[in-house]
Amino acid sequence: MKENIVIIGGGIAGLEAAGQLAALGYKPIIIEKSDHLGGHVAEWHRLFPDMTPARDVVGGLISRASGSNIFLNTEISFVNKLKDSYNIMLSNGISIITRIILVTTGFSVFEAARKEEYGYGVYDQVMTNRDLEHWFNTGKDKRVDNCAMNAVGFVHCVGSRDEKAKNPQCSKVCCITAIKQAIEIKQRFPEAMVYCFYMDLRMFGKKYEDFYINAQRDYGIRFIRGRVSEVSENIDGRVIVKAEDTLSGKPVKVTLDLLVLMAGMVCSQESTKVANMANLPVDSDGFLKSRDNVTAIIESPKEGVFYAGACTGPKTVPETLAEARAAALEVHLYIKSLE
Amino acid sequence: MRERFLTGYNDFVLPFVCGMLFVLIYCLVGLVRIIMQLPPQDRKKFFISLVTPKTMIKNIKDIFLKCLIHVDLWKRNRLLGYMHSSIAFGWFMLILVGHIEVLLYTSHLGAKALYYPIFFRYFVAETESTMKGALIFFLMDFFLLVVLSGIALAIIKRVRSRFFGMRRTTNPSFLDLIGLYSLWSIFPLRLLAESFTADISGGSFLTKSLNYVFTEFLSNHANMLPAWWAYSCALGIFFFVLPFTRYMHIPTEILLIPLRNAGIRIVNARKGFAKAQVYSCPSCGLCIDACPMGVLKGNLKDTTVYLNRQIRRNNEARIEEISDKCLLCGKCTAVCPVGVEGDKLRIAQRSMRRYNFGPDYSNISAKEEIARCNKFVNSENSNVSSAVNEKVLYFAGCMTALTPVIMKTTGSILEKAGVDYTVMDRDGGICCGRPMLMAGRFAQARQLVEKNTEIILGSGAGTLLLSCPICYKIFREKYSLPGIKIVHHTEYFERLIREGRLKVHRDGTRYVFHDPCELGRGCGIYEPPRNVISCAGELVEAAKNRKESICCGGSLGSLTLGFDKRKAMTENAVSNLTAASPDRIVTACPLCLNTFSRYSDRPVEDIAQVLDRNSSPADITGNNKRQKTIS
Amino acid sequence: MDFGFKISPSSAINLDKVDLGKFEELHKAEPDVYKCMACGSCSSTCPASRFSGMSVRKVILDLQRGREKEAVALMRNCMLCGKCTMVCPRGINTRHLILSICRIYMEDGK
Repeated sequence: MKENIVIIGGGIAGLEAAGQLAALGYKPIIIEKSDHLGGHVAEWHRLFPDMTPARDVVGGLISRASGSNIFLNTEISFVNKLKDSYNIMLSNGISIITRIILVTTGFSVFEAARKEEYGYGVYDQVMTNRDLEHWFNTGKDKRVDNCAMNAVGFVHCVGSRDEKAKNPQCSKVCCITAIKQAIEIKQRFPEAMVYCFYMDLRMFGKKYEDFYINAQRDYGIRFIRGRVSEVSENIDGRVIVKAEDTLSGKPVKVTLDLLVLMAGMVCSQESTKVANMANLPVDSDGFLKSRDNVTAIIESPKEGVFYAGACTGPKTVPETLAEARAAALEVHLYIKSLE
Repeated sequence: MRERFLTGYNDFVLPFVCGMLFVLIYCLVGLVRIIMQLPPQDRKKFFISLVTPKTMIKNIKDIFLKCLIHVDLWKRNRLLGYMHSSIAFGWFMLILVGHIEVLLYTSHLGAKALYYPIFFRYFVAETESTMKGALIFFLMDFFLLVVLSGIALAIIKRVRSRFFGMRRTTNPSFLDLIGLYSLWSIFPLRLLAESFTADISGGSFLTKSLNYVFTEFLSNHANMLPAWWAYSCALGIFFFVLPFTRYMHIPTEILLIPLRNAGIRIVNARKGFAKAQVYSCPSCGLCIDACPMGVLKGNLKDTTVYLNRQIRRNNEARIEEISDKCLLCGKCTAVCPVGVEGDKLRIAQRSMRRYNFGPDYSNISAKEEIARCNKFVNSENSNVSSAVNEKVLYFAGCMTALTPVIMKTTGSILEKAGVDYTVMDRDGGICCGRPMLMAGRFAQARQLVEKNTEIILGSGAGTLLLSCPICYKIFREKYSLPGIKIVHHTEYFERLIREGRLKVHRDGTRYVFHDPCELGRGCGIYEPPRNVISCAGELVEAAKNRKESICCGGSLGSLTLGFDKRKAMTENAVSNLTAASPDRIVTACPLCLNTFSRYSDRPVEDIAQVLDRNSSPADITGNNKRQKTIS
Repeated sequence: MDFGFKISPSSAINLDKVDLGKFEELHKAEPDVYKCMACGSCSSTCPASRFSGMSVRKVILDLQRGREKEAVALMRNCMLCGKCTMVCPRGINTRHLILSICRIYMEDGK
């Protein structure tokens, strides 16, 4: 079939959709701005709740999507709306005429330095969830190497549920990611005291609650219900965290060797850029606006433009994959309706 | 000159005389009331200042320059300045020359003195000897022309304010409009009346020429009386409505200037000095364009000019709303041509508020606090010369705890320069009291000031270093710390560089400096931060800077403005700063830093970050071996 | 008469008997008061909490539960510094809230 299908973004949503479309007999075009496929998941170590290696997941997706036309290191220069199709100009000079665009631009990780009070980039012993995954993958990070790792803290909701950070929405995955990472830290440093500072624990997914119970019972991770408000630094470079233990109603102060900030998900600049070029509406939370948030979350209000994955809001890996499959089917049905 | 009428009276003078007497009595009563409302020691101060030669000269100079010439307006906007000074100065000269004229040519004035200087031309006829009066005739016509040109500009301004560079002007009230129209009509009517009479009473280039024109088709002198009636009525109406319109600013400002020169401050929110300020407001509306809240249209009626109007009307609900909403950035005070202090006036309104209970800090022990901070780093270090080895107490301030980068980089700079310092509030201190003061709760603020004073005096420091301009302002104004220098970190950094205790290297980064309200307008610190930045990179200026800098929108001054309402203000302030497309925005206030970095499209830094990045220790012998120790 | 023991009132909060008239007044003055999600940011950043246990979170909760006297006691050392307003993730204007409480409620909790 010669119908052009343009998939913007080569993360897991784009790969899964491309794989499904290839199985349906199409040859989609994937446009990826970075030099690798798999997006954020490719940088992750293991995925909750089964501790599946992220590398395997991404590898499987890439091999299934290998039949597609893939442009790496390529951005979209502009999008022109023609009569019943779009003209997409790429940064490598190629232009594509298509009737179908699948937006899988995903999310960006919240810039933790913008929460100044947590001292990311100021204090030596503060890192983000992404930095920690990087350490899990490579084993190299001077923040971990430099300290005794006796006490580690996780701050939930960094840049999520926070009007001051311009992100009032919940990032959905940080609670469970924090528990996963806390367990992994505990596995590597069994003697370490691990604290999680949370506002609400949202264990909504399959097996999440089991995971949480594991963390409490088998790993002895301390959960403190209170949002960290201030972080300061000790003489020896350790960080002092101030929060309120809202359950006991008392302020708590704890000295930590490492503080991990669970930076949330925000709409990626790419999504906003594509939305501007293709005239797609943006929702109040900054993510792309679907035609309907119940029945048509993968459809944009524009004819022939579809969404999959975290470009419409924070999502877990299984949710993203399910959406990508649904979007592939939707694209297929749309093409059929055009004939 | 000889008088035409034996009686020297005509009924048409009545509207003017009544209006004049009314306004004189009104002002006299008002003057006595305001002076009586001053606290006794202020009243005494005021009377003394009136007879002290120095303030006397200053008063006369200020009244002449401000009320008549409007120098402040000239500096801001020449057209506006000309408009106001032509009306005010021209009118004043008409009155002055009118009096001279009357004194020269008449004797036995009596009750006629009330109206003769105004309607002189009606009552006299020109005689042979008037050549002496040619100069006076000319002057009278000349100043009338000056006033008329001002009136013409005023009419243009009312129709097209943009022509004067003003985006928004005040909405006049109904009485204001009556006052305005009667004021506008006074001078054309005077021209008309004097022109009708010019062939009898004499005149100069304006009145005499018009008289020739008039006699062409109106030869009957009976026409002159209605013109004089109209002129007198216009004056009468203007004087009758004056106390209830913005034109009350004309007499009040003459009182406000000596009061201000006597060093009197607002004590009572509605009486005395505050009242003088409120009535001095000419409703010019310069504060409307200046107000940072103006980016949201809904806030336009919450500017100082409307506050003054509502105070005059005793509209309590609106007074509360306006005074609580304000960011207290002080820009309206900075631009006000008559010196109404919009911010202080609002704080005074807030202080009237009744609370059922208030905080009390008597349980806080200053001794424990002293013990917490009394640990200087290099106290035993004797190899530093005594001049260098002053003890610096660093009070970071509440807000700085939320922007730890300021505290960290300031500490790093102090260490590089080998300063012996200790942090007063590493674990959180006692608030400086400025936020409490801004809320109008003076008694509580005083308690906080006393607690902190005790701690600072007990610490043994010689210098108090502050990062937060909010703290800095109150420390300078309300604290009494004998023997302790109070410096903001911008000033201190400048000194360190000047004394060669830091080596600063310059790079090509373009910085723009945002003047924080409390540091710039509040304390007048404009040069030190600029000097420091210039040492580290290229300094560019914002579209509006220094005294006119735009509040970041994060100010603690506002009590009611919610978080969601401030975004537009911050974005407006950022776009003002980025006019010269700098690479980085630099400020010197933790609150500005926090607010700007939320909405800015480029990096926002504190001045300490800039200096820390671009500096290294100077090589003073014995100084370079210092260990990194913080207590 | 002394029986050697005291009959203490029940420590349970009976929501049927809580009079929220004043809280409604407060809500009118500062509509965002219901937005609090009790994260505790305000309490942990508060410089006064060291001295009196001041916690805007607790005050809001206590007032909603009719424990007005306790709430007012907590506010004893508030310095109105505005840190709580700065950190509140829900953007509640806590300074105005505090001033409104001082205006609406009484020291004895009535």
